Amino acid sequence: MTGETYLTADEVTKTYGDVTAVSEVSLDIPSDAVTGFIGPNGSGKTTLLRMLLGVERPTSGTVSYGGPEAERQLGYLPQRPTFRPGFSVRETAGFYADLVDDDPDRLLERVGLEEVAARPVSGLSGGMTRLLGIAQALAGDPPIVMLDEPASGLDPAMSRLIFDIVESIADAGRAVVLCSHELPLVEETADRLAVLESGRLLRTGSVESLRKQTGGPLHETFTALLEQDKATIAAPEGEQA
Amino acid sequence: MTESNRFWTVFVREVQSAVRTRTYIALGVVTGIVLFALAHAGGGPAGGYVPTVVDTLVAVEVLVPTLAFAVGYRAIADPAVRGELDILDTYPLSTWSYVGGVYAGRALLLLTIIVVPLLALGINVATTAGPETTVFASHRGVDSPFLFIRFIALTVLYALSSLTIAFLLSALAGSRGRALVLALAGLLVITVGGDLAVFAGLDSGVTTSTLGGALAMTPAGAYRGLVFDQVLYVAVPGRSAFVPTWVAALSLLFWWGLTFVGAMLATDAA
Repeated sequence: MTGETYLTADEVTKTYGDVTAVSEVSLDIPSDAVTGFIGPNGSGKTTLLRMLLGVERPTSGTVSYGGPEAERQLGYLPQRPTFRPGFSVRETAGFYADLVDDDPDRLLERVGLEEVAARPVSGLSGGMTRLLGIAQALAGDPPIVMLDEPASGLDPAMSRLIFDIVESIADAGRAVVLCSHELPLVEETADRLAVLESGRLLRTGSVESLRKQTGGPLHETFTALLEQDKATIAAPEGEQA
Repeated sequence: MTESNRFWTVFVREVQSAVRTRTYIALGVVTGIVLFALAHAGGGPAGGYVPTVVDTLVAVEVLVPTLAFAVGYRAIADPAVRGELDILDTYPLSTWSYVGGVYAGRALLLLTIIVVPLLALGINVATTAGPETTVFASHRGVDSPFLFIRFIALTVLYALSSLTIAFLLSALAGSRGRALVLALAGLLVITVGGDLAVFAGLDSGVTTSTLGGALAMTPAGAYRGLVFDQVLYVAVPGRSAFVPTWVAALSLLFWWGLTFVGAMLATDAA
């Protein structure tokens, strides 16, 4: 299921003044797999994602790319993609496609937006805007695609559609990383999970291996892990397991 | 795909965006109305090219940076706020190609808004002024279309420098609100702040012999000095070197280059 390591984070830390957003996280991102980052709000998921992308510089630690040679190594869908007003869907896809010699129509077909290609981007629904963001993230066929909350605030049908597309992106041999609070969909889609809390990486592993720890669905596993972690922090030294 | 192709992609999008924004057309029309109204109120077009420059110079000195800031104050701040810069960071697009492409597109827009009304004013002078204005000047006291072309060329240089300053402030802003505040502050500094600083310096080091050089250090002072030195000199027999010409020309180029590099560095950090 998972292939070679495309991206490696080695002890990355990010601090903003006195606040530590991510603390000494080491992580491998494999190809042919969807890696999901889960954790409560403010756990450092987005900051970690942005450091892996290279748009945020780690305070310490390194991120290294080990994937295949590519004109564009990483594709990125931000949490709330917003496109320049005054342009149509096709023109917007065309702008990004032109930067990497890609075909905008292919990108729009990939996410099912070919029917609304002439529509202005300002006339798109939240879900369609997200799909256009995914089309942009796929421009130039990057080996790694990172998606920050791809389905947040969307209706169940659109969320389902977006996660189906995410799954198909990984099936094409890419490494996909996503942050999401949609735990049932993450459970269905992700091959590997990284559980974060307060900037620390609590666990990594397959969905099955994490589920085995509590025996319930992912949200129970997630809650159990966080509670376990809180208990560990609260316990006096010497009593910790 | 080469870096120049990517520059071109960014440039074309800027031009398309400008063409679709009606506000810019309105800006060009208002600029034309203001320049024609001022020139005709002073009787410049009937008198010739030099009188027209005299009638419009003060307004152009303020209008050009105002238009440059109107066109450029959100050029980098907007894509930064939209998250577009983060997305573009994942493309093989250099900061130079991006900032250069956006700058080239907005510069074309700005120059269209400024140069088209000035050229129209020049044509107006050519069709209304006396026959003595149709010759090319080779000595003082003779009016000429060549002097008006020089005025336009100097205005273009001033506009390009003002636009890079607007870009630098836009890249430093980080939000639309701050972009507006910085633009207004930058505009004040360019239009009156530089001159005030030089005149304040008269109490501490700036003398009447160095005043011209000091004024040439500010973008507006350099532009005004160059217009006096290269255009209006024909109307002032026996007087030359209002500002040191090379100092003023280098000052405008320096402001242009320095703030452009600053805008690129600030965009990189945004």
